[in-house]
Amino acid sequence: MARRYREIGKAGWGYTLITSIVGLIYFSPVLWIILTAFKTRTDALAVPPKLFFTPTLENFTSVFYRSSITTGTSQSTDMALYFFNSIFIAGTSVGLALIVGTLAAYAFSRYPLRGNDTYLFIILTTRMMPPIVVIIPIFLMFRLSGLAGSYWGIILLYTAFNIPFSVWLVKSFFDELNPEIEDAARMDGASESRVFFKFCIPQILAGLSATFVFGLILTWNEFLFALLLTGVETRTVPVAMARTLGGEVGVDYGLLAAIVTLFLLPIFFVTFLLQNQLLRGVTFGTVKK
Amino acid sequence: MTIELKNLTKRFGDLTAVDQVNFDVGDGEVLCLLGPSGCGKTTTLRMIAGLEYATEGDVILQGKRVNELAPRDRNVAMSFQFYALYPSLSVADNLAFPLHAEGLSASEIDARVKKISDTLQLGGILKRTPGQLAEGEKQRVAVGRSIIRDPMCFLFDEPLSRLDVQLREEMRGEIKEVLQDLSRPTVIVTHDQLEALTMADRIAVMRDGRVEQVDTPHNVFQRPTNLFVAGFIGTPQMNLLPATFTESKGDGIAQFAVQGGQSMTIQVDRRIEELSPGTNVTLGIRPRNLEISRESAEDGISTVIDMVEPMGAETLIHLNDGHQDLRLVTDWRIPHAEGDKVHTRFPPHATHVFTEDEQVLRTQ
Amino acid sequence: MANENSRTGGFGAWLLDPKRRGALLVTPAITILFVMNIFPLLWSFGLSFFNYRASSLKVPTFRGLSNYERVLTDDKVWERFQTTAIIVGSSVILQLIVGFLLALMFAKAFPMRRIVLMLVLTPMMLSFVSVGVFFKLFYEPTFGVVSYLLSNFSDDRFVVLGTPAGAIAGIVIADAWMWSPFVMLLVLAGLVSVPKYLYEAAEIDRASSWRRFWTITFPYIKSLLLLAVLFRTIETFKLFDIVYIITEGGPGSSTETIAVYLYRTAFQFFRTSQSSALAYIVLFIVVVLTNLYLYAVNRRAEEVD
Repeated sequence: MARRYREIGKAGWGYTLITSIVGLIYFSPVLWIILTAFKTRTDALAVPPKLFFTPTLENFTSVFYRSSITTGTSQSTDMALYFFNSIFIAGTSVGLALIVGTLAAYAFSRYPLRGNDTYLFIILTTRMMPPIVVIIPIFLMFRLSGLAGSYWGIILLYTAFNIPFSVWLVKSFFDELNPEIEDAARMDGASESRVFFKFCIPQILAGLSATFVFGLILTWNEFLFALLLTGVETRTVPVAMARTLGGEVGVDYGLLAAIVTLFLLPIFFVTFLLQNQLLRGVTFGTVKK
Repeated sequence: MTIELKNLTKRFGDLTAVDQVNFDVGDGEVLCLLGPSGCGKTTTLRMIAGLEYATEGDVILQGKRVNELAPRDRNVAMSFQFYALYPSLSVADNLAFPLHAEGLSASEIDARVKKISDTLQLGGILKRTPGQLAEGEKQRVAVGRSIIRDPMCFLFDEPLSRLDVQLREEMRGEIKEVLQDLSRPTVIVTHDQLEALTMADRIAVMRDGRVEQVDTPHNVFQRPTNLFVAGFIGTPQMNLLPATFTESKGDGIAQFAVQGGQSMTIQVDRRIEELSPGTNVTLGIRPRNLEISRESAEDGISTVIDMVEPMGAETLIHLNDGHQDLRLVTDWRIPHAEGDKVHTRFPPHATHVFTEDEQVLRTQ
Repeated sequence: MANENSRTGGFGAWLLDPKRRGALLVTPAITILFVMNIFPLLWSFGLSFFNYRASSLKVPTFRGLSNYERVLTDDKVWERFQTTAIIVGSSVILQLIVGFLLALMFAKAFPMRRIVLMLVLTPMMLSFVSVGVFFKLFYEPTFGVVSYLLSNFSDDRFVVLGTPAGAIAGIVIADAWMWSPFVMLLVLAGLVSVPKYLYEAAEIDRASSWRRFWTITFPYIKSLLLLAVLFRTIETFKLFDIVYIITEGGPGSSTETIAVYLYRTAFQFFRTSQSSALAYIVLFIVVVLTNLYLYAVNRRAEEVD
């Protein structure tokens, strides 16, 4: 009878417990990977699988240093460079796509061209198409132009892949703004660039960061193009990851898990910081504040 | 059937939104919770409905303490400020919605919807969805949905606040008519005093979470119990003059010195004799009670006409004596010019005296 | 505004004319897209009419529509499309169910929600390579956790990937696990956009939770669900990495999706032109789906207004 009614949409610590259990079950494959990163080679492939073991940091060391059996000295792997490459390439291309995309989105939103919707449709289609459709021409193009193996090549390619979503997302944020404020600023004599930088951009900062996270998640793990178009100097972590799979002794799961774990950290923290904005981003900004 | 609130208190962290509220609403009675925004009136209403829980105190419906009950178990009907119409349902389905829990047959539901839509003239829009309705129609549907059941009590949160002036006047009458037929206790939250004065049997004036006065519209207007109620109710606002009580001459006739040194002798409530000379008080007089004359008199002060605002049948005159502003409403036919020197007159028993603790001085 | 540009004169003024502002702002984006996407797209469109092989140096000859004819009459292709449809269909349905339930769970505000939510969001941030490799390990009959757990229920060592059905299930689970969080984010966005007062009104009106869901919650999320279905369908349609790593299309060709087949045609058999033709057929399907996707987006936008 005394069914106490909770304020709608609120819950307490008991609920946190339940969701944490569900969350942990969902998280368990990731957890297993993280645990594997702390296992010795024997523990990683123990039968039956081991949940409790003596942790070792060996795998993390061998991500960056490889001990040579013949000389007994340890030698640095290039993994640090690959981590830098991944961060540099993903960060730059997503950032670049955001800048270029924001400019275009502003134009599409405020100065519609003839055939505006057609342009927007074509732009979105390029994002939806299977990458395999263009992979051969791009491969040939990169080889002919010398872009293959360079930072610029892969950055430009990733930028192109991120532009469609940047344009669509950011346009939806611009569309939400009240243009009266901009007109008022123009009446007061503000220049066009001032209107853009001082009135429009600050209002959609949350949306821009959502777009950034969204793009970052989709770019961070790209494999196929990175495999074909990066060279020794510009190799990214997913490619390096795949390269650890080969070898006569089979997959070194501990080592791979250590790379996966380390590679997860940056994107995890960025997403954590911008979590609320991400929620807005995935719906094309159709959810009003 | 009654609603009774006893020492009802709601705190959100450090903020006390509702502070020791007491009142009761009888069967068939309409009580308006009136106050400026943020005074806790909506929170009080939501505590009656069960949408918020009381931190302290009791909500008693029909003699039964319901503090712990969920809204659905309290059997109340409520209309929301933003109407809360279900966007995906047609008007008819919106109206029928509260009936599903009653276990009625489809034909009974149809009959009730028909009856309500006749009362509120919704017949023509029953098939539409809320998105296709005008504000006034939405409001009527919201009212219809809340009165379609026969609940313990009716609660309305700012029912008319989103309508334009003309529609508001029309709906005020319509709601009043509907309410008269419902012999249930009703609580209406509003910030509009005209709404409260016309629709309520009694008004509870609230400020900062506290109820300042609960009384009939007439008494709230004519006999405010404190300075806040006096200043809040009535347009134009009551004139409030800081003054010092200097001398009592018996029978409530007393002399006051106002700021700037002028003094006047006026007849007020007899309890003025309880004060000792030299006490600071606030004198309150409604602009419609204040009079002016060309000749100097004891029962007023001399002022200059600052501004004349014609309001149609009446004229609002702003007076100033260099220290205080007074507002006065007179018949439009009496000509006045800005800059004229005039004398005010405070007629016997028209002036309320408020002591320093802001309470009125009045023989009960 | 006019005197803003008068200082520059000549070409600068012509370029900065307000009439051209829209076109000017769009130019960088369009240029990059043209060079990196549209131009290669046209190139491969051209290739699809020749008999070009990336592995040979022979001068390609024009073959007209014969590549398309060969692809469309190839029984194998239709088989691959069927496999893809099964995987896409079951994965998307699973993602919808799981994502939807997760969203219902996270629609409430509770202490530490931000942190618990991260547990669920993480799979989305893993690379396909790592998900593929580790799910393959989980399914492994000797060392795998899944086989180990399943062995508690049956006496035999369970070889998950040994049968076509098991292999498809294995891929679908891995893919759905990775992308259900995405569906969750979409649905969650819909759920939090439901005005609170509607739930309060339903509580006052004593609506059952069933009725409350169908009259209030569902209308607010239905177009987002459609959005999720389309977006995930388009993405899963391109599913390549996970399949390639977990099953390599096997056993037999039972899990060979159209994307894997395309990859093989292009890079193992070097039938470049034929793969381009097939790629264009895939692109056509994706364009149709994209159109539906846009329709869903626009409808959502209208509903929110």
